[in-house]
Amino acid sequence: MNITTDKFKETARQELANAHTQKFLQILPLRLASRRDSAYQSFPDPVAAHRYGQSIRDESIQRLPELLQVFETNAIANGARVFWAEDSRAANGYIVELAKRHGVSYVTKGKSMVTEELGLNEALTQAGIETWETDLGEFITQLLHRPPFHIVGPALNIPVEQICDIFLQKGVIDAPTTDPVALGMAARRFLREKFRDLQMGITGVNMAVAETGTVINVENEGNIRLNKSSPRILVCVMSLEKVVPTLADAMHMLRVLCRSATGQAAGAYISLDSGPKRSDEIDGPEELHIVILDNGRSAAYQDPKTREALRCIRCGACLNTCPVYGKVGGYPYGWAYSGPMGQVLTPALQGLGNTGDLIRACTLCHRCKIICPAGIDHPSLLLYYRYKDVVGDRALGGSGAGWRERFVHTLLSVAGSDHRLWRLFAKVARLAANRFRSGDRIHSMPNGPRGWFSSRDLPALPAKTFRERWAQMDPKKN
Amino acid sequence: MKRVSLFIPCLVDMVLPHIGESTVALLRHLDCESTYHCEQTCCGLMSFNSGFRNEARRLARHFIRVFENDEWIVSPSGSCVNMVKNRYLELFDDDPVWFARAHDLAPRVYELSQFIVDHLGVEDLGGTRHAKVAYHESCSTLNALGVSAQPKALIRSVRGTELVELTGADICCGFGGTFANSFADVSTALVRQKAQYFLDSGADLLVMCDPGCLLNIQGYLDRHHPGRGAVHLADYLAGSIGDKTQVAT
Ligand code: SF4
Repeated sequence: MNITTDKFKETARQELANAHTQKFLQILPLRLASRRDSAYQSFPDPVAAHRYGQSIRDESIQRLPELLQVFETNAIANGARVFWAEDSRAANGYIVELAKRHGVSYVTKGKSMVTEELGLNEALTQAGIETWETDLGEFITQLLHRPPFHIVGPALNIPVEQICDIFLQKGVIDAPTTDPVALGMAARRFLREKFRDLQMGITGVNMAVAETGTVINVENEGNIRLNKSSPRILVCVMSLEKVVPTLADAMHMLRVLCRSATGQAAGAYISLDSGPKRSDEIDGPEELHIVILDNGRSAAYQDPKTREALRCIRCGACLNTCPVYGKVGGYPYGWAYSGPMGQVLTPALQGLGNTGDLIRACTLCHRCKIICPAGIDHPSLLLYYRYKDVVGDRALGGSGAGWRERFVHTLLSVAGSDHRLWRLFAKVARLAANRFRSGDRIHSMPNGPRGWFSSRDLPALPAKTFRERWAQMDPKKN
Repeated sequence: MKRVSLFIPCLVDMVLPHIGESTVALLRHLDCESTYHCEQTCCGLMSFNSGFRNEARRLARHFIRVFENDEWIVSPSGSCVNMVKNRYLELFDDDPVWFARAHDLAPRVYELSQFIVDHLGVEDLGGTRHAKVAYHESCSTLNALGVSAQPKALIRSVRGTELVELTGADICCGFGGTFANSFADVSTALVRQKAQYFLDSGADLLVMCDPGCLLNIQGYLDRHHPGRGAVHLADYLAGSIGDKTQVAT
């Protein structure tokens, strides 16, 4: 996948000016966020259920190395083949090689963020293997060559007219229609053909159970099930943090995941697969390959702070609640993971090199932290990344602050540690700012904060600070 | 009589000093004696949020030295209170000595409305002011400090004041310190939305507990909707009790 995280500001500006994006973003939080809230009420004790989920994720991540080993052992005992992929090249190489070995000409894929992360579609296409996304939204974005806009609805921002055009172009429909149901049915008929003599299916993994070696998927359209049960070879790609200790833990996390993602008590289809088809079974794949992807996660695990990002279960609740995502949508985040989820995951996995804007594109409003069913403290992590970036941390690839910024903060801290200097500083600041006053307002300052003045005024600084007024107040009255 | 130490954020000191005066007036109205340490400067919030932890640590140590002997420390700023109460612990997590001092100080620091309602147990200041107001939930005040019922109770207690519903009251106004400047487009989109919700609410005034939000929202209103006003809770309440503290400038 083409990573464009470094263009955050530019893309954000485009999306702010994009009427479709803005229209979709207006309905999104109202729909999904309120559905989540009411779905949570179906827990006897919503707060306890939320906390319990957080503690499961906490335990899963603290015990990660051990749980992965147990998972591997049990998956192999079930007849699955497990491949540990250190990075995207290794993962893509393994999958392409597997497809070639079996003479597969095309594969179908269930919606999966991790294969988005890998850029698997491109790798398969380059090897001459056709790839078909089977989730309706992913199918549309694939045809349009666009990255997913939202984790739950990757193409929710694409107007029906545009979908109609591309479907006509690709032969999915013969006559134009803007009826969403008709478009959905057409895509479904088109993709069902692909399932008919499918040889290889690929899916992501929502959860992996250490205790039983099971991989679990949740969906609403039923396509992942077809991907899993109709081919001879099934490949499930999981990022290594998806493991939970027991089946009971997985059941609770599923309840939390579905409520947080779509406001449903459960997804329409939940499939649990433990191993390939057995000799006495009539359907299911003959070979089950589980690719466990690292891609920077072991390194992120080493630091107890960045480790926290691995708790994420990709529910998307933080996207729906984030005021910044709510204005700019998914594209500016520039990688598979958007919103607050992307802001904590992308730097952990890719380092701070291209994510300087990403970690700062946040007002620290704390809504994501409160809603997160995995217990991630996003604001705290973002502040940590900023710190690491400012000091030019080697391990995370921080770039170090520019001299101007460094100068301002040094000055602030030196003056702020001595109140006489601080008073002087206040006087100078007032004189400097008030040179640009007109009446009791300042409308702009050449060389001042341009961004601020692009839409806001500033009050002129009053002649007396609080401290000076305090000195004038009647001490007996206070 | 309680002695309350005033924690006046740098923004209030230099730009919005009337909020400090109103705070003094309210405390006096509640029989609290205000004290003010002239040595106080800045709590370090801006440096900390920008990633300059070493610089923020210097400021935090200065703050702790100035305030650590006080029994009650009250500030008219939710975000600065959150910094001192919660973020200092993070700032000193690898420095046991300063961590202990920060930890010791934290429970004595209050946001103004929190102090009045939770600590003094007062929900009615007995003031009068005829206005229709809406309340904006500042993020730090609401999400980090959990303070929301307190300011609303105080507003409702004012005779003649009607508190109206505000759509999106708990959605960020887009300030975020330096965010407002470095992500000006996104920030503007957010403050525009906030202003629109306020105008739609039919309220005369938008009340809030954070000077940062106030600077942002008022700055936007002045530019685009002159004459429409936002106001800090301390100023609103002080106005309702007929405060005469304000020193001529
Ligand atoms: S960070 Fe939390 S809220 Fe956001 S997608 Fe991950 S689990 Fe869900």
